[in-house]
Amino acid sequence: MNARIAGLWRSMPLRLALGLVVLFSVVSLVGLAASYVLTERSFEQAIRADLSQRIAGFRAAPSAAALATLVETEARETDPERLALSYLAPNQRRYGNAVIARDDEGYHVLSLSQESPTLSGDYLALTTAMQGGQLTIARSLSEIDALRTVFLNILVLSLLPTILIALSGAVYLALRSARNVATVGKTLDRLTSGDLQARVRPGADWSGDLAEIGTKIDEMAQAQESSVAAIRQVSSDIAHDLKTPIQRVAVHLADLADREELPPQARDLVDRARSELDGVVSVFRSLLQIAQIESGTPRSGFVPLSLTDLVNTCSELYEPAASDSGHHLDTRIARDIPNVMGDRNLLLQLLANLIENALRHTPVGSRITVELDRRPRGVVLSVADTGPGIPEEESDNVLQRLYRLDRSRMTPGSGLGLNFVSVVARLHGADLVLRDNDPGLRVEVVFEPVAATSILGPRP
Amino acid sequence: MKILAVEDDATTGAFISRGLREEGHSVDLVTNGREALIQATGGSYDVMIVDRMLPEIDGLTLVKTLRGAGNQTPVLFLTSLGSVDDRIGGLNAGGDDYLVKPFAFGELSARVSALARRPPAVEQEAVLRAGPLEMDLIARKVTREGVEIDLLPREFAILEHLIRRKGRVQTRTMLLESIWDINFDPMTNVVETHISRLRAKVDKPFDSELIKTVRGAGYRIDA
Repeated sequence: MNARIAGLWRSMPLRLALGLVVLFSVVSLVGLAASYVLTERSFEQAIRADLSQRIAGFRAAPSAAALATLVETEARETDPERLALSYLAPNQRRYGNAVIARDDEGYHVLSLSQESPTLSGDYLALTTAMQGGQLTIARSLSEIDALRTVFLNILVLSLLPTILIALSGAVYLALRSARNVATVGKTLDRLTSGDLQARVRPGADWSGDLAEIGTKIDEMAQAQESSVAAIRQVSSDIAHDLKTPIQRVAVHLADLADREELPPQARDLVDRARSELDGVVSVFRSLLQIAQIESGTPRSGFVPLSLTDLVNTCSELYEPAASDSGHHLDTRIARDIPNVMGDRNLLLQLLANLIENALRHTPVGSRITVELDRRPRGVVLSVADTGPGIPEEESDNVLQRLYRLDRSRMTPGSGLGLNFVSVVARLHGADLVLRDNDPGLRVEVVFEPVAATSILGPRP
Repeated sequence: MKILAVEDDATTGAFISRGLREEGHSVDLVTNGREALIQATGGSYDVMIVDRMLPEIDGLTLVKTLRGAGNQTPVLFLTSLGSVDDRIGGLNAGGDDYLVKPFAFGELSARVSALARRPPAVEQEAVLRAGPLEMDLIARKVTREGVEIDLLPREFAILEHLIRRKGRVQTRTMLLESIWDINFDPMTNVVETHISRLRAKVDKPFDSELIKTVRGAGYRIDA
């Protein structure tokens, strides 16, 4: 799950959407704040203008008594919560609906009515000397406070839903594109590992860019598959075309060998030519067989096989040859090895190739161990020797077709053995691992066991 | 015996027919599938040698058609393909044996003789004999000139195989197929080493050689 979130976080659409959301929010907030400040300022100006106008209205009163009456009249109709009027007459009498008092904390507006003597909230007051007294008019700033609430409401009602919608849209897009990118990645992995039939096949819901990339990859894979098939066809055709001439050469050599008048030297040459021809034939056979397996020999012929039987057959077959050439061939088979799905003949040939490789590339006295074991990663078939081994940097190369180590150029062999092993292992879905046997080479083929429910036993 | 060879390549065809004639067989050679069908339905042959890739009617169709018409003549397929699938395909079509080009004549000759005498002598006896050698199949005991020979199970199987086919050459690949059920040709001389182990026990302590090497072909125990 964490990995999925991390993957999502790396995805381009999500990052873009998040960036846009942040930008949009900042711009909205700045705009809202600016209009709040401007509105507040113009409200305050309006209040100030209103107060000046009122003061000017009172200034029209001809005497202090008239002013007091005017203030009283107006105060009677006015709520001090909104507008506080206070006139301190020259005779020290107070008129109006409130008094403005001052203490250490600052100015306070006090109501003159009995119900609510103190008034809370901010007021803007204007005071001036008039008719020998002091006239003070204060207006509540509660309207401006209300403005703040209005702006907060605007923020909550407009910006938050926008952000939520943008975010969920971004996550949806990111998830979708992450899925598509994963599909492309898996296809490329399969193409890289040699499965040229892999295709992206972008669906109708794919975004335009990814769909285009997917389509291009499919076109590329198609082209590659066709050209590989063409090359295979050509090499297969060449091999087939050459088989008849090779057969004829074999026939001519056989005829030549039958001539009784042949001098011993010539007979010797004919024998050598025949054995060289055998080598050519065996390389051709291996190449054709590898090509046939790679071009997708159907796995329908696979049956559950006992690797134990296979190893026993092969070890028994090679034991005399190994001991004649001065090697020790050991077999170790763990108990209860589960069956694997496979082609008996191909797997026997795989094991034979590994044993022959070991016999051919190790000096007299070397020990060759064929082992069958059950490990957590699967059923491990291994052939280990105590010979010179393969340098680590060469371990990929030796799996290539016709590749041979420099020091092996003088020993017989086609350079196809390990390539054949790797092709057969891949056909069986088995992993091929070359390890250092310290000293020597250890080749492991790791099979997946047949699921317990489908064990049928080997074909009779 | 009377053999029909169907091979479109003239050199290979001549090689097959000349070799088989030298061994005393009568050989008819035809070069395409249509002609082969006419010949095979007309004459009665002991063995047919059929190339899988033929002009006009290919080898598989030819043999399927013959089998469909009730012709049971043993067929040896020749092929230039040569993989397990082709072998199984050929045998499924009604072929009795299968040989991949290029082949040594000894291999062809040994397989043709094996086919002609199919099914191999099914001897129900409990004891097999070859000259001075006796094989008790029930007690799994081998004696030669009264001396008991201790054989490993696989050596016993090889000896039994050779004695049951007395007088006929068994090639390396025939032994691999029959004894180990292996249908590929190992590069190492594994069969030779098994035979030499067997010889060391069966022949070496005695005067005469029972298991003969046929040069360029295989092994034989004389009748």
